Amino acid sequence: MGQLVNSDNRMPGADKEADLTERIEAFLADLKRGGCGTGPIRGSGETARETTALLRKVTAQARWSSAGDLMEIIRKEGRRMTAAQPSETTVGNMVLRVLKIIREEYARSRGSSEETDQQESLHKLLTSGGLSEENFRQHFVHLKANVIEAINELLTELDGTTDNIAMQALEHIHSNEVIMTVGRSRTVEAFLKDAARKRKFHVIVAECAPFCQGHEMATNLSKASIETTVIADAAIFAVMSRVNKVIIGTQTVLANGGLRAVNGTHTVALAARHHSTPLIVCAPMFKLSPQFPNEEDTFHKFVSPHEVLPFTEGEILSKVNVHCPVFDYVPPELITLFISNIGGNAPSYIYRLMSELYHPEDHDL
Amino acid sequence: MSSRGGKQKKGNVTSEQEEEEQPLQAVLVADSFNRRFFPISKDQPRALLPLGNVAMIDYTLEFLTSTGVQETFVFCCWMSNKIKDHLLKSKWCRPTSPNVVHIITSDLYRSLGDVLRDVDAKNLVRNDFILVYGDVVSNIDVSQALQEHRHRRKVDKNISVMTMVFKESSPGHKSRCEEDDVIVAMDSKSKRFSMGTDEFEIRHDLLDCHISICSPQVAELFTDNFDYQTRNDFVRGILVNEEILGNQIHLYVTQDGYGARVSNLQMYDSVSSDMVRRWVYPLTPEANFTDQQGQGCTHSRHNVYRGAEVSLGHGSQMEENVLIGRDTSIGANCHISNSVIGNNCTIGDNVVLDRAHMWNNVHISSNVEIHQSVVCDGAVVKEAVHLNKQCVLAYNVVIGPNLSLPDGTVVSMHHPEEEEEDDDDEFLSDDQEVGHSKDKTRQKAFNPAEVGPEGKGYIWKASMNDTEDEELAQCLWGLVLNPDPESDSESEASEESQDRTFQLEVLGTLQRGLEENIVCDNLVLEINSLKYAYNITLKEVMQILTRVVLEYPFQQQGTQLTTLQYTGSLLPLLKTWSPVFKNYIKRAQDHLDCLSAVEELFLEQDTHQTAMVKVLMKMYQLEILEEEAILKWFSTGATNDKSRQLRKNQGKQRMSLQRKESEEDESSEEGE
Repeated sequence: MGQLVNSDNRMPGADKEADLTERIEAFLADLKRGGCGTGPIRGSGETARETTALLRKVTAQARWSSAGDLMEIIRKEGRRMTAAQPSETTVGNMVLRVLKIIREEYARSRGSSEETDQQESLHKLLTSGGLSEENFRQHFVHLKANVIEAINELLTELDGTTDNIAMQALEHIHSNEVIMTVGRSRTVEAFLKDAARKRKFHVIVAECAPFCQGHEMATNLSKASIETTVIADAAIFAVMSRVNKVIIGTQTVLANGGLRAVNGTHTVALAARHHSTPLIVCAPMFKLSPQFPNEEDTFHKFVSPHEVLPFTEGEILSKVNVHCPVFDYVPPELITLFISNIGGNAPSYIYRLMSELYHPEDHDL
Repeated sequence: MSSRGGKQKKGNVTSEQEEEEQPLQAVLVADSFNRRFFPISKDQPRALLPLGNVAMIDYTLEFLTSTGVQETFVFCCWMSNKIKDHLLKSKWCRPTSPNVVHIITSDLYRSLGDVLRDVDAKNLVRNDFILVYGDVVSNIDVSQALQEHRHRRKVDKNISVMTMVFKESSPGHKSRCEEDDVIVAMDSKSKRFSMGTDEFEIRHDLLDCHISICSPQVAELFTDNFDYQTRNDFVRGILVNEEILGNQIHLYVTQDGYGARVSNLQMYDSVSSDMVRRWVYPLTPEANFTDQQGQGCTHSRHNVYRGAEVSLGHGSQMEENVLIGRDTSIGANCHISNSVIGNNCTIGDNVVLDRAHMWNNVHISSNVEIHQSVVCDGAVVKEAVHLNKQCVLAYNVVIGPNLSLPDGTVVSMHHPEEEEEDDDDEFLSDDQEVGHSKDKTRQKAFNPAEVGPEGKGYIWKASMNDTEDEELAQCLWGLVLNPDPESDSESEASEESQDRTFQLEVLGTLQRGLEENIVCDNLVLEINSLKYAYNITLKEVMQILTRVVLEYPFQQQGTQLTTLQYTGSLLPLLKTWSPVFKNYIKRAQDHLDCLSAVEELFLEQDTHQTAMVKVLMKMYQLEILEEEAILKWFSTGATNDKSRQLRKNQGKQRMSLQRKESEEDESSEEGE
């Protein structure tokens, strides 16, 4: 609907703008409150779609005359969105994708080829050529429509990610294999269910205390008539010798190829390495984040200790400190393969995907 | 007609839909109507006091907003302007806020009851609403409770008027407010507050979150019963009149989430530490849910939160559970643990802070030690000051140098006596103001022994007399930290003394009755009224009465009476007062109780044991006691004690003799 609105920037009325800010505020509040304990209420795929849809709305309704203005607006909103829930990296990733789209569309409108500014190089730094911020001032009539068109394409891509990943299942899962997974991942669930249409195999689900999302995963798998066993987290190492393949999901794929995944994943990864069991990570491209693992505050997420030691315990709580982290860091050397919607990749190849998806200048908003 | 009917139907449908879709409303009472936070709340209303560097009312509003409240009425009384300013600046009053906040101020509110009566008078609520205080910190999802409440109301036509939210937490939990300790009797099936139904459970593991979901009738009920002041009055009233009015109160018990009301400093301390320990997730310090510029902070290991531009000196350690506001600088070699430090504070070298709550713009010099204390905005603590546990430095106080404040010291810039004057002078003219300020200048001499050579401020405890002193300590820190191991025995003792005074009163009444020749019916009336005044059971009344009567001769003529004299004076008394006895001794059990009282007395007066037979005889003759009762007492009492047995055996012979006589008497009377 917004595609037909041309770049006449006086058109959007005040009420439209108010509506936009209201929607952004609602989204921010949702992000802030989201993820009580058991991780995000909605999947990260949905978050990605919502973010993108919101950014499309911003593009369509905000007042801007050149690509530079638009990028500034998107950056501003993006900063607020990422600050609202720093652990939800998908939001930031989608902001970067949209920024990249704007750059590409601007370059196309100018007629210059995309290849010229693909990579940052020492030579380029010294000569400071390419497209810098000052050059985004030029006004193009069709830019808005083009950008919105490209964002729509991105949305279509997002819609198909899970299916794209699930389609590859038969290449990885063979008959009568024993597969281990940990916790609950919508992507892995779809992946296994897809494979179960043709092959028979056995899934072992580590329950993933204290939130025990594994239970839900196991129920869903058994409903799809997959032979499923739930084990306690402590039994992971003991069971690992029987396992042919470990398939897990993740919350974020970091820039070095490591993972930020649900608690307990590191245990699984180490056990798999000990038994030389391949570890496959199902991760859609929108989970790829330019963030590196560090001790920075945004990396961790601590939720209410309620699940570890219930509030009803009483007296003991004033004498102990209880922490309840949500994520583990899994270093890249423990990972065998990434399966994304564009195919399988080794962890060492992540840097390449990163430069294809995001523009280096955008890495920090 | 038919078209009209159709219209009506339509109207009904729309109204039903409206009921479904009507925005959820909340009533937020931003006043505590008590002085638990005095003297801190003298400068700042309680709802605006910072908890984890965010005003408490913001937590409450965030809680309401996240549960889907779309319209909130904030009622303020004390310092309403400050609250209004704060809210107008906050994100709640931005046009994009999903929760529309209306601020209603009045100086006339004196209690929760007044507020709700005003709600009714202004007709503000149209549907079920949530009632909270402005100092409730919670992340409980009450939508489930709300659903249950609505369902109940739909099923049985508005019988349920209120659903109170409770959180499970076992006794001994530090976030349980000792003053609020509740024991709840509830109907296990319907979750109804019950009094005397057939089947109910009694629970002591509940924490009152002070969140209630109210039907619109609640406001009306407050109007109807103008004596309801607090929610407790209301609950009591509803339960007492349940049979008559048919209103019920239900409760909703949750295990998840966090909910507590900051009702005193003790609770302030524990809620603040719970918040820093992330129990109230997602309301954590780094979430910056108030959406204010520069309020954000970072969260790192061991729950250490740092705002923007915090500088930490060499060798300083932030051990655990520390929150530091923006632009605060900390000197070298400090040890900070379990503390909250506000914005723009400066802290010197070698400072030890443990469980300290420092608000904004506080200056702390070097070598200071602070334990479990509250330091309000703008306070200055000079060199080498020790604040022991539970100290409070109110706004702009200066302390030190080289001073150690004992436990529980409260220092304020307001003179404690000024307090009462304030109350009287509230509405007086400017002349009075001048006089007042003169007063102030007169009082301005600070006591250097109390607050240090450069100190500014008045000690609140020292200048008050003892009783008030205790009261204040309780006021600020709650009852928990001043545990009274003797309180139980004390209450018992007081009960005993109550019995004793009752006995004296009865004695006085009887004496007067004898002297002024009052009719026995009137004596009964008087004793009955005494019974209610001292809250004494019927059984005790009877025993005490018996005792008083039997001791009466001793009271009048001294203890050196011979048995003969004693019985001589007692028997006529028994005769005159027999109607009184008869009034109280009716059932068989009463007879036995009376007898045991008699027995007890004569056990004490062992020289007059022989008189007992006569007394019993007389009582029997006067038809105060029944024959069977005496015999029964006989057979049961004999098993008790050897000496008693002996005595009774002695007495038995005479008793049986006399009984025969009396029986003969009776039979002869009958014969006549």
